Amino acid sequence: MRGFEPLAWVFQAISGIAMVFLITTHFLLTHSSHDLLSYDSVLYRMTNMEYKIFYALLLIFVTFHAFNGLRAIILDTEGGMRKKGAVNAVIVTAALIAIFYGLYLLSKF
Amino acid sequence: MKFVIRRFKDDKSFWQSFEVPVKKGMTLLDGLFYIRENIDPSLAFRASCRMGICGSCAVKVNGRPRLACETQLSKFKKEIKIEPLDNFRVIRDLVTEFEGFFAKHKKVKPYLIANTDYENPIEQLQTPEELKKYYIFTLCIKCGSCLSVCPSSATLESSLGPAALVSAYRFNADSRDRGKEERLKIVSESFGVWRCHSAMECSEVCPKQIEPAKAIQLLRRETLR
Repeated sequence: MRGFEPLAWVFQAISGIAMVFLITTHFLLTHSSHDLLSYDSVLYRMTNMEYKIFYALLLIFVTFHAFNGLRAIILDTEGGMRKKGAVNAVIVTAALIAIFYGLYLLSKF
Repeated sequence: MKFVIRRFKDDKSFWQSFEVPVKKGMTLLDGLFYIRENIDPSLAFRASCRMGICGSCAVKVNGRPRLACETQLSKFKKEIKIEPLDNFRVIRDLVTEFEGFFAKHKKVKPYLIANTDYENPIEQLQTPEELKKYYIFTLCIKCGSCLSVCPSSATLESSLGPAALVSAYRFNADSRDRGKEERLKIVSESFGVWRCHSAMECSEVCPKQIEPAKAIQLLRRETLR
């Protein structure tokens, strides 16, 4: 394996496939009935360890997929490619902040 | 048949129509020659072999890249729109600049890198099965159609583009070649295989049905090893 690009591509594919299942489950968990969006239901899910792990995974995969996709779009431009190092650094930092902030919020319940 | 041609002169582009009498078996290239010889001698287009081998006459016909010499006019109705290929700088009318395209091609070392003893050369043998692995990719005629529809090449000029990557795969898959690592290093750079987002347009328009997108996926698989 050569450098960061192949890894990013493989994880983009893995996160994409994982998201199909995770987002489908999320929709079923939250939208299959009106009661599932009540305060008690939401609180129950947020305090339950299995749901927390599920939402942590969803957060990590979605954040990685979105930020890596954004990185690919920026690197597809002349300006982006010229400042490739800076683009990578900003995107990785922003993704890590989003993931850790999301995990912090999840841990608060 | 009405030929509507996008012409370029002094950095300005305009559409010009020509009426061409069409006979059975006539190709688009025949039509362009008819215009140049009988109506407007200033019409510029590129052509050489007239038999789909040299790849010089690729133009955009009704929005899709085609080889003018292999495009039968009987396919079309009353009007045909002809433009130069996208993603290439236009020199004049239908003639585009190919230096950048060939420079990209050169970057991937599109030749056999072998441990040849030139003092005592021996035949480099290959089985038909080994040939089969890459044969289809040897058919590329470097017409530039794939690059003209590649979305990544449209936004990023330094992106290698499908044709160069096909060549890289063609030589990497050749059992006689010893330059695989050198080429993989080049194509796995940011401007190589990772700029492809699988739009598959290159495979769709390739006049030789080479499937450049497949070659790119196979190269990716190699770089992941």
